[in-house]
Amino acid sequence: MSEIATPAARARPAQRRAVLSRKAVRTVGRYALVHALGLIVVLFSLLPLLWGVSTALKQPGDIYAFPPRWIPESVTFENFIAVINDPAMVRSFLNTLVVASATTVVSLVVGVLGGYGFSRYRFPGRNTLLWSVLFTKLFPRVVVIVPFFVTLRNLQLMNTYQGLVLVYLMVTFPVAIWLLKGFFDNLPVEIEEAAIMDGCSLPRLLWEVIIPMSRPALVAVAMYAFILAWNEFLFALVFTNGLERRPLSVALAFFIDENGIRWGELMAASIVMSLPAILVFTFSQKLLVRGLGEGAVKG
Amino acid sequence: MALSSADFVARFAGWRARRRAIAIQKRRQAYILVLPALVLIAVMMIYPVIQTLYFSVSRVRLPTFATSFIGLDNFTRIISDPETWPLLSRTLVWVGGTVALRMALGLAAALIFNARVRGTVWMRVLVVLPWAIPSVVGANLWRWILQTDMGVLNQTLRSWRLGDWALNWLADPDTAMYAVIVAYSWGGFPFVMLLLLARMQGIPEELYEAARVDGANWWQSFRHVTLPSLRSVLVVALILEIVSAMNSFDTLIIMTGGGPANATRIWGLEIYKKGFTDFNLGGASALSVLLFAGVLAMFVFYGLVNRGIQGRSRGAQA
Repeated sequence: MSEIATPAARARPAQRRAVLSRKAVRTVGRYALVHALGLIVVLFSLLPLLWGVSTALKQPGDIYAFPPRWIPESVTFENFIAVINDPAMVRSFLNTLVVASATTVVSLVVGVLGGYGFSRYRFPGRNTLLWSVLFTKLFPRVVVIVPFFVTLRNLQLMNTYQGLVLVYLMVTFPVAIWLLKGFFDNLPVEIEEAAIMDGCSLPRLLWEVIIPMSRPALVAVAMYAFILAWNEFLFALVFTNGLERRPLSVALAFFIDENGIRWGELMAASIVMSLPAILVFTFSQKLLVRGLGEGAVKG
Repeated sequence: MALSSADFVARFAGWRARRRAIAIQKRRQAYILVLPALVLIAVMMIYPVIQTLYFSVSRVRLPTFATSFIGLDNFTRIISDPETWPLLSRTLVWVGGTVALRMALGLAAALIFNARVRGTVWMRVLVVLPWAIPSVVGANLWRWILQTDMGVLNQTLRSWRLGDWALNWLADPDTAMYAVIVAYSWGGFPFVMLLLLARMQGIPEELYEAARVDGANWWQSFRHVTLPSLRSVLVVALILEIVSAMNSFDTLIIMTGGGPANATRIWGLEIYKKGFTDFNLGGASALSVLLFAGVLAMFVFYGLVNRGIQGRSRGAQA
């Protein structure tokens, strides 16, 4: 009787072992399945990248080997050296560096000022202005190339660093203002009030109180602006001409000479161009994952 | 009290004036703070919008930029152009194909990496790489892989004696569109994955346990627990992907330049070609206005759907 009442508790050891091992099989099966599927996704993501890296490290003869060789016969940095010794490439690398850095700095300035203004002040037209900032972000890049072309031409900023920074700002400043406004909204007002009581002027208040407190948000804005300006292609293509101001993205898109495309060098240059983005993304992914973890705990 | 009413009024007025002075001063501070943003909006939003609208109803003569009003001629010319309908249908194929592929891959990857199996975190980090690299790099990578003679895909197929499958991927109008859709989706699906994963990790474990207790299998708990929780973020991802596909340019111009035989020429490329190869700024502006109307319609649609979801969930709670 009692055996019928609590069958699980009284089950014979052999049966229990069977249940256990079935569970173990299911766990192992699940483990294997998830790993196998995960590996497929990783291969899809990674194989094209690995082929690019492999090409970049190969000697010219090895690049066109048949059947294709994934691991280079002998690793060479020839392609990287050729890229570094190419004055046009160095020129465009510097152009990109200048434009991306300037975009970052100006985005931070506009973002801190605007974010603080929108966060701490109530003034006529505030909401309209705040929403027009967001609306600016809505403009698709392909749609604005004609009007921006006319604007830059009228401002005589075609083919200049300033012109590129200005068009990139149009993409970055809405994000900068909204992100920083959100961050400032959550800062306690008491510290600023104390500073104002002590006769602290607005510029000093921003520089010595607000900015040191907002480092995480400023880093986020800086990374966003830098990567955007570093990777951008369409504006760079339309608003520059000639080697003088041509950024890296355009240089890579038209990496071709009378001998056709030198794939080894193109892949080497591509790796160089990808580095800042990959660095920032690995760094921010850690932040992202941590943010998600915190959200889960709070939720 | 010696305080006469006149005295009081005077003092009160003085106090008010001082307050107003402070208020004005504060207001001036506020406007100084937001001035850069204001200038950017004026120069980079209001002026360009007016300019585009004006250009779209004008004929623009280069290099003087002299305009003459021609009404809706640019638009009627686009509508009556026999090339426009193929262009539109190609754009729809492109948007539909890339969005479907990106969403499907992103959802599948998110489900795999949400299974919380030990030792899959490194995989998730690696999977994000295609999204992290610049689009120019991704496009060049795929162009190299898909080369007809020397590309690794065709060479591998040939070495496996599957030479018949080694097609002219980017040079054949029949395959070019599929090839660029795969390349573009490859670069974008990790973003969908990250969006969905973030939401999935917020779904309380208890819901799955309850489903398990009720004897739900994997599909049932996906269908009745995961999917309903993902609805709002799926809509966000869908809208973002549709808009980004409508505006894509980099991958296409680098991989095929819109060819072969216009097979991959979509709306965004047409704007660029019309404006900066044919130098028909009026026509390009009209195309821009139409594309922007399409994007705007997507956002309005999103607003309506969003309100619908919120209304329904509020109704469910009540």
